[in-house]
Amino acid sequence: MIADQLFFTGINLILAWSVYVVLLAGNLSFAQGAFMAIGCYASGVLTVKLGLPLVPAALAAAVLSAFLAMLIGWPALRVRGIYLIMVTIGVTFCVRVGLENFKFVGGVQGFGGMMGADLTTVMVAVAVIGAALWGLSISPLQRILDAVREDDRVAESLGINTAWVKLAAFAVGAAIAAVGGALYGHFMNFVRPDNFDILVSIYVVLYVILGGVNNMFGPVLGAAIMTLLPEYFRVLAEWRPTIFGLVIVVMLLFRPEGLLSFRVITAKLSQGTRR
Amino acid sequence: MLLGQISNGLVIGAMYALVAIGFTLVIGVLDKLNFAHPEVFMFGGVVGFVCAAYTSVWWAFPVAFVVGGLMGLLTEFISFRRFQSEDAKITAALSSLSLGLVLVDITHKVWGSEPVDLGLTSGVFKEGFTIAGVKFLWVQLIILAITFALMLALHLAVSRTSAGRRIRAVAESPANAALLGIDVRRVTQTVFFVSSALAAVAGLLLALRTGVANPEIGLTFGLKAVAIMAIGGMGDLRGAVIAGLLIGVLEALTFQFGLGRLGEMTVWVAMLIVLLWRRGGLFSGMHAGEQRV
Repeated sequence: MIADQLFFTGINLILAWSVYVVLLAGNLSFAQGAFMAIGCYASGVLTVKLGLPLVPAALAAAVLSAFLAMLIGWPALRVRGIYLIMVTIGVTFCVRVGLENFKFVGGVQGFGGMMGADLTTVMVAVAVIGAALWGLSISPLQRILDAVREDDRVAESLGINTAWVKLAAFAVGAAIAAVGGALYGHFMNFVRPDNFDILVSIYVVLYVILGGVNNMFGPVLGAAIMTLLPEYFRVLAEWRPTIFGLVIVVMLLFRPEGLLSFRVITAKLSQGTRR
Repeated sequence: MLLGQISNGLVIGAMYALVAIGFTLVIGVLDKLNFAHPEVFMFGGVVGFVCAAYTSVWWAFPVAFVVGGLMGLLTEFISFRRFQSEDAKITAALSSLSLGLVLVDITHKVWGSEPVDLGLTSGVFKEGFTIAGVKFLWVQLIILAITFALMLALHLAVSRTSAGRRIRAVAESPANAALLGIDVRRVTQTVFFVSSALAAVAGLLLALRTGVANPEIGLTFGLKAVAIMAIGGMGDLRGAVIAGLLIGVLEALTFQFGLGRLGEMTVWVAMLIVLLWRRGGLFSGMHAGEQRV
């Protein structure tokens, strides 16, 4: 039982990190559920129908998902952030309806037969992705991302290709979400398009907002709290959306600039503390 | 048959337009997305259910208008007043989204998560008349009449009255409007009241059309209005109306031609195409800046 809960915490953590990577470049994506679905179905087809082992299948799914993200994001990321929110919502609906009508992977009835993922696999994935993000946070790339997020016009004037940086972050986020989806599918053994509802994408974004967005440990906290606490407190499980929503609303209110406003955080950082 | 589908599409499209108008008003004035809007739309149907259960369903119209408007004021107070800066766009969107989640969950807890039957027995909702072999329901005509009356009233209010002029001034530039002595907060509240009230009435109309109040439509039917607003051009009232009707008919036609559930994708695909092709919306450049809210 505890292993299951830890497994889902790990999956949610991977998804939260995928949102975090996109947010690093200053964009909000509601399509992580869709990329999760793409990863889950693509890797499932590879393992069940073609007999590949899980790891190469998951990696191939991640590459496919990143490629699709680039295709979608290329036009959308050049315009204002608000458009990307709408485009990603649209993608989530399209992917879900598309899968429901795709007979090859079972349509509405669902797709089954995947197996092989367990707590160890997901822990390894969390460790690898976490190490990569940690490496990113101490590399010069982090400063480029910070510049793009804080003020993309200034970043542009410094010679940074902001459109490319945003696109790369979106694609990497999609790849991470696809890995999460692949592991999810191979643990559940059976998935349906309903499993990748728009609500999944919304919740994952809210995990990150709840935990904090200025470092890679915020999403860890948010995902862990929101996955594990309802398992132990009955009230929390029953009233989950209400309590969760109110907590987010109140938290945003008492940080007037909002947790997403990185400007406050960097202003504080520049007064001596180091990230 | 085809004509019947088109008339169905027009009715659905009119409701899309009514919700999209609310999104576009808020985008036009504040340049922010109000994600509590779809859930206020959903709640309009629930108001219809409550009114049908206790009094007459006709009372639901004023009640839905007022309740929806008050919800709009609450949304503005909680999710938008503190987040006025340019950077806070995403914060405001997330805050209103969370508020919407709370509203849906409370609705689930009070009225259950299944669609509830309004118990409409009056002949108006079931009967109709036949022209050239196509059956029209009276309720469809009522819906069209009410939506067009509301849209016309809104159009006149925005373009002819002094309150409308203030709204347009704030949409143009909040700072300049404030310098000219316009109470920007009051204008913002007005916009939220009107947009949410229209959404609640649209939700009520949908409930009357289908006979049930469904607590799940916020994130499906309601969110489609975001796409319609983008197709019509953000902040463009007339664009939102035309795009709503267009998408309603288009969806009915995809259904007619046997695409089945793929029809659900129509609006999103249309939005992606429009955003790629002309970012300012389908009707950008077709009329002067004054038409924009």
